[in-house]
Amino acid sequence: MARSKLKGALDQYKGRDIKLEKQRKKEKEARKRNEKSRKERVESEEDEDEEVGGIYLVEEAAVKANGKTNKGKKNDMVEKVADEEAEWETEESDDDEEGSEEEEEDDILERAIFDMSRLEDSDSEGSSDDNAEEHNQEGSDDEAEEEEEDIPLSDIESLASEDKGDVIPHQRLTINNTSALLAALQRIQLPYSKMLFSEHQSVTTDEPVEMPDVEDDLNRELAFYSQSLAAVKDARAKLKKEGVQFTRPVDYFAEMVKSEEHMGKIKQKMIDEAAGKKAAAEARRQRDLKKFGKQVQVAKMQERAKEKRDTLEKINLLKRKRQGADLTNTNEGDLFDIELENAAKASHRRKGDGKPNAKRQKKDAKYGFGGKKRHAKSNDAISSANMSGYSLKKMREGRLGKKGGGASKRLGKSRRAKSV
Amino acid sequence: MAAVYKTLSSLSSHKKEAEERKYKQRVLILSSRGVTYRHRHLLQDLYSLMPHSRKEAKLDTKTKLYQLNELAELYNCNNVLFFEARKGKDLYAWMSKAPNGPTVKMHLQNLHTMEELNFIGNCLKGSRPILSFDASFEKQAHLRVIKELFTQIFGVPKSSRKVKPFVDHVMGFTIADGKIWIRVYQISESEPGKKKPTADGEMMDLDPALKKGKKTEMDVSLVEIGPRFVLTPIVILESSFGGPVIFENKEFVSPNQIRADLRRAKAGRYNRRTEAALESKIKRGGLGLSTHGGRKKEKDPLSDHVLFA
Repeated sequence: MARSKLKGALDQYKGRDIKLEKQRKKEKEARKRNEKSRKERVESEEDEDEEVGGIYLVEEAAVKANGKTNKGKKNDMVEKVADEEAEWETEESDDDEEGSEEEEEDDILERAIFDMSRLEDSDSEGSSDDNAEEHNQEGSDDEAEEEEEDIPLSDIESLASEDKGDVIPHQRLTINNTSALLAALQRIQLPYSKMLFSEHQSVTTDEPVEMPDVEDDLNRELAFYSQSLAAVKDARAKLKKEGVQFTRPVDYFAEMVKSEEHMGKIKQKMIDEAAGKKAAAEARRQRDLKKFGKQVQVAKMQERAKEKRDTLEKINLLKRKRQGADLTNTNEGDLFDIELENAAKASHRRKGDGKPNAKRQKKDAKYGFGGKKRHAKSNDAISSANMSGYSLKKMREGRLGKKGGGASKRLGKSRRAKSV
Repeated sequence: MAAVYKTLSSLSSHKKEAEERKYKQRVLILSSRGVTYRHRHLLQDLYSLMPHSRKEAKLDTKTKLYQLNELAELYNCNNVLFFEARKGKDLYAWMSKAPNGPTVKMHLQNLHTMEELNFIGNCLKGSRPILSFDASFEKQAHLRVIKELFTQIFGVPKSSRKVKPFVDHVMGFTIADGKIWIRVYQISESEPGKKKPTADGEMMDLDPALKKGKKTEMDVSLVEIGPRFVLTPIVILESSFGGPVIFENKEFVSPNQIRADLRRAKAGRYNRRTEAALESKIKRGGLGLSTHGGRKKEKDPLSDHVLFA
């Protein structure tokens, strides 16, 4: 082998099997040759057929023959059988011959009856079969069937690559003895062409059912459904034409495949399911409502509590202020109003200051704050910006008082001593 | 003249009868020992769908299947549908034309019986089904054989004794992924104006007079009945439960093999680890870290272990 080791390794890495490929190539050649010879044979046999008056081996052909001559039919049948038998004999020998041919070609091939139809060449195989059917020469087609062998290594593809070392690939030989299969089929097949449709009631689709993904449950079932539906429509028309009763009348009662009990169970199950669904929906609705209702209620309660607190606070504030304030002020009503406003304002500002609520304040006053005491009296940004101590009114009052002889000035020591 | 007519008519009627008898099918349904309840229910379902079938007691043997031929002859059956259970979990279905073949062995998977499926479809016991086949059945020889067997086993012959006159269900056989998928549907007809049938048995409530009078085109829809299962062809034998193998499916991997592979794949992990450990040990030895020239290193007389022992 001139092929270097490296190349071999590469091939192996790529998963190419040189041997298998070669073998396949040879097989293809062999098949081509066979086909050519077969075609020739077919042509010659067709000529013969025309002369003799038809030795047909497939029943479709036999039906054709019916049209030709009624008399010759029986003879044909007899001939057919005899011919078939003869053909079988020859087939065996043919097989042998071909087998030996193949053996010469490739000593790996065993002399056995195998078919490659499963491999990639299956298309060509199928088409050739079709051709043969068109020629109504399946009998002669048989002897040209391939005997090949292939050894699939694909059975362990599903395993992880590193585990492959441990697994010995099990190799299964494909046996597909088409001639024997067709013979068996011919033996048991009912003569459909002679039967009424209503006797067998089998429908085959025109096109193979396409299924992109078998794992896709929904589409798969849909494909099955549509196949059956098409078949039913077809069959229904045919049966109606043959005058067969199709639809069951309403008043026809008979035993069903599923008993009443079983159907009852199914119905109960459906009812339960529906009830469960309904109950679940209802429960969800209720839950949502409850959740929402609760939210509303809580909001309302909070609102009410807040209002109450605010009013109480205002009143308390007022009380304190009234206690501390001097009573010289004249207009009480006016004052009250203003101070209420102020209190409201103050309370608002207080909120902004971030001071705790009244209860907290009370508690702090009672038990002490408990926080840090440092810097408690030092100024900070808030306290320095605090203008609460500043009152123009008071200042004015003071000035007025001075003028009006309000608050007296602190007297000298002697005079003070004297007064006391 | 009358005599001639009589003979002629009797002859013709006799002929007709003979013709009808030609397509007589009877199916022997039975299972091996060791079936589970689901397998048994499947058997029951199929039996109820096939009025031309004869149920038999479980077959004792799993090796001498040719006994089935005698059994079929005994019960006058020309088809055998035999379920072979293995290991209490795998089910194989054998279909055979009794006296002289062919026989198909298939692996039955994805089994769901009527009982557990809870489909609302239902049909008359003993009505004849429409058999719907995928066109792929015509593509290959072995599938043609299988199709023929299906047609003869699941198709109820017209002359069957317990048959009922209407057609109200369809059996679908589809090939996908190299397997045969089987479904059974009820045919429900309803008037186009009407809404979808209310399942169960009520879809038949159309006015027959109206139908007769106007001959309206009915809407046909299907409701699944069950059971569901998938068959993988394994082998076709030339004669009945014997004879040469004329087809073998290379794509079929036995469930035993699959289970074994899985187990082995699991075991592979352990093997790899131990191998790696061994390898590293050898490597280290080769580097001379713990050995010297393949032998163990001699004890250093000045090592701490020796000095302060």
